[in-house]
Amino acid sequence: MSDVEETTNQLLDVNLHENQRAIQVTESGPRSESEHLHVTVGATVPTGFEQTAADEVREKLGSSCRISKDRGKIYFDISVESLAQVHCLRSVDNLFVVVQEFKDYQFKETKEEVLKDFEELAGKLPWSDPLKIWKINTSFKKKKTKRKKVTQNSSKEKTDNGRGDKTDERDVKKEFTSNVLDSQILDYYENPAIKEEISTLVGDDLASCKEETDESSREETDPELLKFRVTCNRAGEKHCFSSNEAARDFGGAVQDYFKWKADMTNFDVEVLLNIHDNEIVVGIALTEESLHRRNITHFGPTTLRSTLAYGMLRLCAPQPTDIIVDPMCGTGAIPIEGATEWSNCYHIAGDNNPLAVNRAANNISSLLTKSQVKEGMGSKKRNWNLYPACLREMSRVCRPGTGRAVLLTQDKKCFIKALSRMGHVWRKVHTVWVNIGGLHAAVYLLKRTPQPFVHPSEQDGERSPCTQR
Amino acid sequence: MKLLTHNLLSSHVRGVGPRGFPLRLQATEVRINPVEFNPDFVARMIPKVEWAALLEAADTLHLIEVPKEPIEGYEHDEEFLRKMHHILLEVEVLEGTLQCPESGRLFPISRGIPNMLLSDEETET
Repeated sequence: MSDVEETTNQLLDVNLHENQRAIQVTESGPRSESEHLHVTVGATVPTGFEQTAADEVREKLGSSCRISKDRGKIYFDISVESLAQVHCLRSVDNLFVVVQEFKDYQFKETKEEVLKDFEELAGKLPWSDPLKIWKINTSFKKKKTKRKKVTQNSSKEKTDNGRGDKTDERDVKKEFTSNVLDSQILDYYENPAIKEEISTLVGDDLASCKEETDESSREETDPELLKFRVTCNRAGEKHCFSSNEAARDFGGAVQDYFKWKADMTNFDVEVLLNIHDNEIVVGIALTEESLHRRNITHFGPTTLRSTLAYGMLRLCAPQPTDIIVDPMCGTGAIPIEGATEWSNCYHIAGDNNPLAVNRAANNISSLLTKSQVKEGMGSKKRNWNLYPACLREMSRVCRPGTGRAVLLTQDKKCFIKALSRMGHVWRKVHTVWVNIGGLHAAVYLLKRTPQPFVHPSEQDGERSPCTQR
Repeated sequence: MKLLTHNLLSSHVRGVGPRGFPLRLQATEVRINPVEFNPDFVARMIPKVEWAALLEAADTLHLIEVPKEPIEGYEHDEEFLRKMHHILLEVEVLEGTLQCPESGRLFPISRGIPNMLLSDEETET
């Protein structure tokens, strides 16, 4: 782990040139030129679900992905026409356009030399095409309605009792007012204290440099005088510099090169400097808020990230008319993703907590509550009883031979132990190791064995239960 | 609660096992909710339906024109599929009760959501 330094305002100490000249970010050339633009897009995804996300990209965009060693990131190439569809991907959290990738960057020995290299790097990068993409992307975002008000009616229309209205979805994609619903409430399930060092020059020191207040909207200012910031993610043990320093020096050079204005909170362009061991990727962000906050407007304390919910569902490979049950739905993240993406399935969700049900009901329209287990959730001691009971119940409900279950848990030890006693009805097919806000959890994909469920009350020889489908 | 959902629910009171199905439906408030017709979806759901349970539920709701069983070649019979689509997906019970046929236990339906929660004593071990 690198040292945590105080934020500096050296970037802003640099004399800001009120220079009228600026690098033109788009060419006013013929339209056909930009239509044939191809770029590499990077996407951040829940750690562990890189392959799932890559599958979605292949399915929806036809592009193959490279999965980075820097966990939680995938890269793929697209033409600019596909940009809108990229934003409709449901397994990605954030998107950026790649300016340049260095697969094996040679770091010099001393900190001074390394930082000097970063400074010189800024002027040598191929900014032109990525900035064109950024510009096109920005014009998309302006069409998106801000702070879309969510009423009971609109959420009903969206999911329509678990089957979804296909016409609406198609229209939505065309207009690019996708299913992103801005949330107002923080997602408490996310722990901001994450392992890798993330440094953006922000803080109270810089408050005096802010010229606009928080209330101001992102209106189009003088297009040549863009505001920017640099965010540096650094991971690796052999670096002799901090992300703070890299962001500062690289950012300073970017500012000199473009004559942009640095602004930590009200920026137009976010430049990303991702350093993972010897791999460096310079990018420009295409998303502001993370896409994973879509759909959920009423948060609870443990809301599941939408991208994670989507990844879990995808692991099951839902088939048309499958019945998908979430017996611990909380605020409804999983059934919502399910109903939106797999509208040909029947989604049933429930929870033993009426508060959760109320919240979920505000998010989707068709629910039931049920509790098939005696114990509550949330403590490891209880899990010793909960998990076996849960697995047993699921084996009763799922169709022998074809049924699947996907479970997310942090208590892996307990779960594996419980699973070991259920080998006659469940078979573990796949495990995904995920990192949720610093918690190391796992997602298990189970397949139901062909063995029929025998009800305890049936053990004296009556015919088998009729509720299995 | 749709009738398709009702078709999937059973009572979990201790000791009833499979005799907890089907739940006896009683409705005080019902609404018809239009849903986009998807013939493939309906056709594939037909084999999964427990027909006797469906007929019983439809009867208590006084639904008319409920087919007694799937007809031959139903997959291509649009009229049949539309009827089934309506019965399974468009009829919503908003208020009412579900009763366990074995134990008599009542589960309330409120705002379209059945509450199946049992107390500790009632659940299976």
